[in-house]
Amino acid sequence: MRLPAKAVFKIMWLLIPVNFLRKYHCPLNIRRMVLLIFICATALPVFSQGEETAKSSFWLWTFLGRLHPMVVHFPIGLLVVALIMEMIGRKKKNYHDAIKTVVVIGTISSVLAVVMGLMLAQAEDYGGIIKDIHQWTGIATMVLAGITTYAYMRMSRQLQVFLLTITVVGVTVAGHYGASLTHGEDYLTSVLPSSDAAGSNFVLATTDGPLSETQVQELNLQVRTILAHSCNNCHGVAKTKGDLRLDSREYIEKGGESGPVIVPGDPGKSELMRRVLLPSNHKEYMPAKGKGLTKEEIAILDYWIRKGAPWPEGELKSLFRVAELAPRMPEIPAANGDIIQPLDRFVDAYFKEHTIEWQKPVDDHIYVRRVYLDVIGLLPTPEAVYDFVNDPAPDKRNRLAAQLLERNSDYAQHWLTFWNDALRNDYTGTGYITGGRSDITKWLYNSILDNKPYNRFVSELINPVDESKGFIRGIKWRGTINSSQSTEMQAAQNVSQVFLGLNLKCASCHDSFISDWTLEDAYAFANIFSDSTLEINRCDKPTGQMADRRMLYYRQLGNIDSVAPTGDRLKQLAQYLVQDNNGRLYRTLVNRIWAQLMGRGIVEPVDVMDNAPWSQDLLDWLASDFTANGYDIKRLIYTILTSKTYQLPSTSVEQAEHLVAQDFVFRGMMRRRLTAEQFADAVSRSIEPIYGDSMVVHKLFPGTVKGTLPFARAALVKNDPFLTALGRPNRENVSTGRMSQANLLQALELTNGEQFNEAVKRGAAGWIKKYPETEKLVTEIYKSALGRAPVEKEIAIAKKEMGERPDQAAVEDFIWAVTLHPEFQLIF
Amino acid sequence: MKRRNWNRRDFIRQSGASILAAMAAGAPVSGLLTGCGRAKAGAQSTADTVILLWMAGGMAHTETFDPKRFTPFEVGMEGDRVLSTFKPVPTVLDDVYFSEGLESIGSVMDKGTLIRSYVAADMGHILHSRHQYHWHTCYEPPQTVAAPHIGSWIAKELGPKNPVIPAFINIGQRFTVGEAEELKAFHTAGFLGNEYGPFLLPDPSQGLESVRPPVGMDAKRFEQRNKLYNDLISGSPIGEFSSDYQKESLRRSMEQAYMLLNSPEARAFDLSLEPKESFDIYNTGRFGLGCLLAKRLTEQGARFISVSTEYEPFFGFDTHENGHTRMIDMKKMVDGPIAQLVKDLDQSGHLDRTLIVLASEFSRDMMVEGRPEAKVQEQVNQPDILTEMRHYGMHRHFTDGCSMLMFGGGIKRGSVYGKTADERPCKTIENPIRIEGVHQTIYHALGIPPETEYEIEGRPFYTTPDGKGQAVLELLG
Repeated sequence: MRLPAKAVFKIMWLLIPVNFLRKYHCPLNIRRMVLLIFICATALPVFSQGEETAKSSFWLWTFLGRLHPMVVHFPIGLLVVALIMEMIGRKKKNYHDAIKTVVVIGTISSVLAVVMGLMLAQAEDYGGIIKDIHQWTGIATMVLAGITTYAYMRMSRQLQVFLLTITVVGVTVAGHYGASLTHGEDYLTSVLPSSDAAGSNFVLATTDGPLSETQVQELNLQVRTILAHSCNNCHGVAKTKGDLRLDSREYIEKGGESGPVIVPGDPGKSELMRRVLLPSNHKEYMPAKGKGLTKEEIAILDYWIRKGAPWPEGELKSLFRVAELAPRMPEIPAANGDIIQPLDRFVDAYFKEHTIEWQKPVDDHIYVRRVYLDVIGLLPTPEAVYDFVNDPAPDKRNRLAAQLLERNSDYAQHWLTFWNDALRNDYTGTGYITGGRSDITKWLYNSILDNKPYNRFVSELINPVDESKGFIRGIKWRGTINSSQSTEMQAAQNVSQVFLGLNLKCASCHDSFISDWTLEDAYAFANIFSDSTLEINRCDKPTGQMADRRMLYYRQLGNIDSVAPTGDRLKQLAQYLVQDNNGRLYRTLVNRIWAQLMGRGIVEPVDVMDNAPWSQDLLDWLASDFTANGYDIKRLIYTILTSKTYQLPSTSVEQAEHLVAQDFVFRGMMRRRLTAEQFADAVSRSIEPIYGDSMVVHKLFPGTVKGTLPFARAALVKNDPFLTALGRPNRENVSTGRMSQANLLQALELTNGEQFNEAVKRGAAGWIKKYPETEKLVTEIYKSALGRAPVEKEIAIAKKEMGERPDQAAVEDFIWAVTLHPEFQLIF
Repeated sequence: MKRRNWNRRDFIRQSGASILAAMAAGAPVSGLLTGCGRAKAGAQSTADTVILLWMAGGMAHTETFDPKRFTPFEVGMEGDRVLSTFKPVPTVLDDVYFSEGLESIGSVMDKGTLIRSYVAADMGHILHSRHQYHWHTCYEPPQTVAAPHIGSWIAKELGPKNPVIPAFINIGQRFTVGEAEELKAFHTAGFLGNEYGPFLLPDPSQGLESVRPPVGMDAKRFEQRNKLYNDLISGSPIGEFSSDYQKESLRRSMEQAYMLLNSPEARAFDLSLEPKESFDIYNTGRFGLGCLLAKRLTEQGARFISVSTEYEPFFGFDTHENGHTRMIDMKKMVDGPIAQLVKDLDQSGHLDRTLIVLASEFSRDMMVEGRPEAKVQEQVNQPDILTEMRHYGMHRHFTDGCSMLMFGGGIKRGSVYGKTADERPCKTIENPIRIEGVHQTIYHALGIPPETEYEIEGRPFYTTPDGKGQAVLELLG
């Protein structure tokens, strides 16, 4: 393909100047020339397609190519002028020849521009859709210009003007994309008032005088944010290119291998400014990777240096959002009509702020099902539904919630799942085989059963009795393990994640990139759990530095006696952590419980308590109310269940990801799928027990469990493929939420899995014996499984498939369909 | 948790720095903190399917694909003298010998590459399941988050090849054996989510049961049941939550399951449809039939299949005694089916786009436990002087030189990579390859970029630790 393309170039270079100089009083020549060049130039890109690899072209072509940005202005100018002349001088005869001349020159220059443009594209590294659009609109415009020229020789006036107009439109479009290539896509739009880039985040109000301490703090924070996001990847602790780090004052002021990077007070002399201001294709341009800095960011850096590159006195403001640690009791907003409960009043204030109307509370059928599943994890029996719906008492909802919370065993057997996940406690799992792990099942079950006050609950896990030691002891594997996974470090990670909604996992390997927690902080915290002093390892390599012993938030919560024996230290740690002053501990807990009952936390993810809550007041109030009233989880649950807020109709999102979005707006409970355990129990209760009594791991539970189980509840059996498929985690790691989506492996398990199908079979045999007629059978199964009678249409569907007197197979299939029905599968 | 092509800055601009912390937990999101754009998967792939043939329990290299000097058994002989307990036999490749009993695989070595230099990790203590965890996830346990199996990574990145065949199928391993919990810990999609987890078929001859309507249900009834299900949903008066992601995903998944169980491709799981001669060659037990199932599934569009000889403490390749006699049986079990699998896929043309990998968690030696420089606590009662036949064999766990095979999917044909010493310790002396290299080579063949990662709990989690592994391009043709 090389030869034809080169030949074309040569022919054109010969033709254009020759013909151009001959002037155009010889229409024939012009016509021929224009025609020929047209054919050649149009064909050129087709030929040159195959040459993309031949990057190193002859210097002349590159040189000529670089003339493209200049030459393009000829066709643009000339053709537009021609159109303007047409408009102002339509009627004047003498204009016509002039217009023709301009059009012809415009057309020739458009050919030149196209040829040079193609050379430029060949010689230099342009790519992407914009370049393609520019290329092909340019070529199209050239062709249009050619046709227009022809029209000016041969055709009617109307056609001439029409074609010229289209050509000018073409020139405009091609020109726009050309400009986008040169100046960037948002060159124009970025200055429009509606544009994001034009300043939504740009709050640089400059001042001539000296900066106040707050202004220094803010400006410095903005500078560090820019450096963190655009520079520290290569100029930080992980990579230190050019011997330069830009991640702290010390290093920024020190500079790199080629000297200082900033000259306070003089941006013009600052290497950093020089680099970011270079053209982006320059070798020394920074940042070398990723997008360049915006004008606003450059302005901030420039201003900061001009002001002497100041650093605030004392502690630096964090780059990250850091939640308040101290508890806070916000003022309860005024009651509004029947919105009296404090919780509802906070939500009412939130709704007002977001102009959300209160919806009518859900009906009794929905409420009773919700409350049963949320408090004890079981479906209500048809009788319980009937009694509740027909109870005329106005306070029946509050009474139902209270009654269910008093069913201690049922309650414990449900909430056990949540705490097993969070405390990564299971009946089988890695580590047990070698004694490298111990379970806390008995302690945990009894604690939930007794509704142990949460401060004691936490204390006993951190400063453990023998039965609760498994949590901080972690899982120990034989052999060498990564230093970030020593059992002490596991304790530090798990305690901070579960109780404080704090991620220490990054910082247990290196200083965190997503928070201010450092490697030293993580080790100092882990060291509290360790009998011997830990040596700090960075990314699994020993540093020779021994760890301190220090609590997280020690300034507010207190200093651990670092030389005390481990037992004493743990006692102290437990005391410090559960003090009322530690608002974070209680906010984390109330947020977790809220998320369990409402399908989404006030803060999400529930393990990142530094994130902004959708209502700070509500979160703070719930936590303060919790500590002021005996750290009573059941009381907290009662408060939520009896609120108008909980009784709002459920809502959902279209994509699972939206659930944790930070711009989430609360409107009511989010629908959830039954957990693996809830689903198994729902089938067990309403159709037929899935597990035999012998499946319960009695030896790990207190002996008293035996008489209290309605059937073998799934929370008390070993994990199996059925429960795994439905989302029960293998509890090797802390797990604080279940996925609500279904997937193929689950569906397969539910479609032909043995465990489930056997239960359906057994169930069908029992049901058919009791109710041999379809209508009655369908009605009773609906009541038992869905808590309501079927509507006529549903009975008709069932009858159509099952006949009047169904056989065993038909009943199995009906039960299967009902238990996979979204109405059965969801808490709504 | 979609992988997005945002660069850091767009991300910061759109969401503000605080959201960085928001990503610190919960569902994994794609690596937002890396500036580099990712190549589209599959762009330059040489393979679409991977079959992992797992020699569970530690397969001695000197007794299989890297034989050394043969010393026949004598009562009272010194163990130190024994490097191999089998005669070397020639293969189709010049100057390449296998251990006696592997003649069939030797005859197809012109279609693949023999790797003699795999070096397993030092983990301070031999625990099969821990080394297996490491081999399959590329991470040493324990980890702060659950690490995904290589099959799950592939399922996540490429999805199923044929939508009705699960993307990750695991054949031959039961989870009722010793160390089962440790095995479960890596037979998982980990933080990638259940959806990418393994479809477990402990017994290949029962494969059909798993992909057809429940036992006793004919096709017509299965169809009717599905219709009833859909009719009842549309007939329900509670219709207001129609666009929920939960409900949508439930119905979509049920539909998919129905399709799979009803699809003609599901017949691939039916080994009784295989012609008798072919079936007989494969039928050396569960492993052999697993190879047959892998062949049939590959032909119908499987993505990742693992076929295991099955790990059970002290069984299979886990030879703590009677190593020699056990190896005779093991070779009978694997030699024919593996060679046939290669031949069949080659003949049907599927081998071009199917990468077959044979591997084991480590090798064995009669004397050295661990590796020469990093010996670990001995776990085997192996006398220095052999007095009984049961002492004759490779009983200790050796990590410094192991053999692997690769066939198809862009792998060089008729080639040998790496070398171990001819005298004890028979350790790797040329071109060592470690697990990161193995994984990245597989990903490379599949067109999965080496820096593939997801953000989980605020931390980027790469296919191979820190994204540092590199494909061994010399293995590819």
